[in-house]
Amino acid sequence: MIALEQVRKNYNGTRGLDGFSLRVDEGELFGLVGPNGAGKTTLIKILATLLRPDSGKALVAGWDVTAHPQEVKRTVGYMPDQPGLYQDMRVGELLEFFANAFRLSREQRRAAVIRGLEWSGLSARRNDYVEELSFGMKQRLFLARTLLHDPKVLLLDEPATGLDPLARIDLRRQLKELNAQGITILISSHILADLEDICSRVALISEGKNATDAEGNSLIVNLQEAALPRMAYEVEVLGSVAKAGERAVEMAGVKIVERHPTRLVLEIEGEAAQASQLLRHLVTGGIDVVKFARRAATLEDRYQHAFGGKPR
Amino acid sequence: MNPMIGKELRQRMRERRGWILPSLYLATLGAVIALAYYLMTVSPNRQQQGWQIGVALFFTVAYTQLSLLLLMAPIFSAGALTIEKEQRTLAGLLTTLLRPIQIWWGKFVASLMYVLLLLVAGLPVLSVVFAFGGVGPWEVGIAILTTVVILATISAMSLYWSSLFRRSVHATAVSYVSVIVMTVVTFIIYSIGMLVYHSSASSWDLMPSILKAPLYFNPAFFLTMAFVPADQLYPEWVQCLAVFLLLGVVSTLLTLRNLRRGGEMV
Repeated sequence: MIALEQVRKNYNGTRGLDGFSLRVDEGELFGLVGPNGAGKTTLIKILATLLRPDSGKALVAGWDVTAHPQEVKRTVGYMPDQPGLYQDMRVGELLEFFANAFRLSREQRRAAVIRGLEWSGLSARRNDYVEELSFGMKQRLFLARTLLHDPKVLLLDEPATGLDPLARIDLRRQLKELNAQGITILISSHILADLEDICSRVALISEGKNATDAEGNSLIVNLQEAALPRMAYEVEVLGSVAKAGERAVEMAGVKIVERHPTRLVLEIEGEAAQASQLLRHLVTGGIDVVKFARRAATLEDRYQHAFGGKPR
Repeated sequence: MNPMIGKELRQRMRERRGWILPSLYLATLGAVIALAYYLMTVSPNRQQQGWQIGVALFFTVAYTQLSLLLLMAPIFSAGALTIEKEQRTLAGLLTTLLRPIQIWWGKFVASLMYVLLLLVAGLPVLSVVFAFGGVGPWEVGIAILTTVVILATISAMSLYWSSLFRRSVHATAVSYVSVIVMTVVTFIIYSIGMLVYHSSASSWDLMPSILKAPLYFNPAFFLTMAFVPADQLYPEWVQCLAVFLLLGVVSTLLTLRNLRRGGEMV
C-alpha cells in the first residue's frame, strides 16, 4: 500500500531523508520511530504530497506522489504533528468545509459530517466554536476531519503528543478500530509503548536512513514475533538475589542485565537448551527459584539497542 | 462554488474589524467630503458654479477613497496565507483536493470582495456629487474601474508577500512598503528625473518614456489618467492598466509557485 525506494529529500537547508526505503502492506498498522530530526515528519509529508522527493520513489496505493498528487490526496488522510483547526469556525461548519474541499457531493457531505460528528463524539457540540473545545476534543475532531473522504491510508505524525493518558487510550482504541475496518495506517510516535500496543511492525529511522543492525539489515521490528539477538530471562528467587547472581554468572555466556530486590534479568547466549541448563545450574546450587520466564523483547529494548540509549 | 470563498467570507465577517473598518471608512469619507464642501463654499469671495463644486467633490471623493482603500487592502490580503501558517492550518488545506489556484482564488476573491464592499458602501457618499452636476456616469464608472484594478493588483501583491513570509506582521509590513514605493517613491523618482532633465522635458508628450515610466506604477497617476476624455485614454491610462495587470499576474504566478512549495513552510 505504501512503498518508498531510496527516497532523498533536503529542504530548508537541512537533510530530511537520505535514501530511506520502506514497504507497508495493505491493512497494516505500521509504526515509525526514531530520534528527533531523524526524518519521520519529512517522510510523512512526502507521502501526504506536501513535499516532493529530490530522488527515489514514493508510492501510495500504486500512485506516485509526485506524478499523481490528486489521486494520492484522494487516498490519504493526513494528520500533521501539530494539527491546526480554524478556531473561529463552528464544529459542523469545519467538517462541512473540508468535506466540500474533498469534492464530496451534497448528500455525501451531509452523511460524512454526521458520521464525523458521531465518530468524534462531538454531535452535541456541532454548533460550538472550535476554540471552545478541549485539546483532546480538537484532536478527535481533526482525526474525524481526516476521515471525511473515506481514505484508504492514514498518515499520522505524532498524533498522541499532548494528549492525557485517557485520551491516548481512546486514540489507540480508535486507531485499532479503523485498522480493523481495513484502513492502512502509518503512524510516527515517540511513545514507544503506544506503538508496541497497536502496531504490527515498526521501522526504525535514523539520520534520514533506515536504522540498521550490526549486519547492515534494516531494522524493522515485527512486534508479533519480536526477539532480541540474545535471550533475556527474568528470574525471581527466594532469599539472596546477590547469591543467585553469583551462581548464574558462573555459567559461560550468562550476563546480568538488571538487578531488582527479588529478581534478576539475565541474558543468555544461545537457545532454549542453555536456558534449561541455567535453571538446573541455579537449582542445583541451592537457589530457590520461584519464577523463570523468558522476557519478551520490548520495542524500547530495540530502540535502545539501535540508538544506544543516547539522548538526541 | 469554490469552498474557500465561503469559508473566507464567513471568517472575515466574524472578525471585529468586519464592522469596525467599514464604519471608520464611511465616517472618514463623510468627514472629508463635508470638509471639502465647507472649504469650497465658506468664503464669499470664492463663489463657484454648482457643477464646479460637483467636480471638485468628485475628485476629492475619488482620491480619498483610493487613499483609504490603499491603506486597507493590505490588511485583508497580507495576512490571508500567513494566518494559515500561523494557525498551522495550511498543511490541512494543501492536502485536500483544492488546487493551489483554488486556494489563491478563494483568498483573493474574499480579500477583494471585502474592499469592494467598502467601495460600494461609499457609493451613497459619492452620489452627493450628482446633486451638483458636472460629473456623469462615465467619469464615475471609469474611476471605479480604475480603483478596482488598483486594489486587485495591491491584493495580489499582498497575497504574494503573504505566501512568502511565515508571519502576518512581516507580510503586512512589506505590503505597506510596496504601497509606499508605488505611491510615493515612484513620484519622487519622477520628480528627480524632471529636475535633472528639465530643459529637455518641457512638455509631457515630448518627455522621454524613461522619465515617465515610474508614474505608470503610481496608483494616483493611474486614477488621474482615468479622468481624461474617453478618446484620450490611450496611451497613458492603457499603459498604466497594462502595468498594473502585469504586476497582478506576476504576483499571482509567484504566489502559486510558493503555494505549490507550501509543504516546506508548514
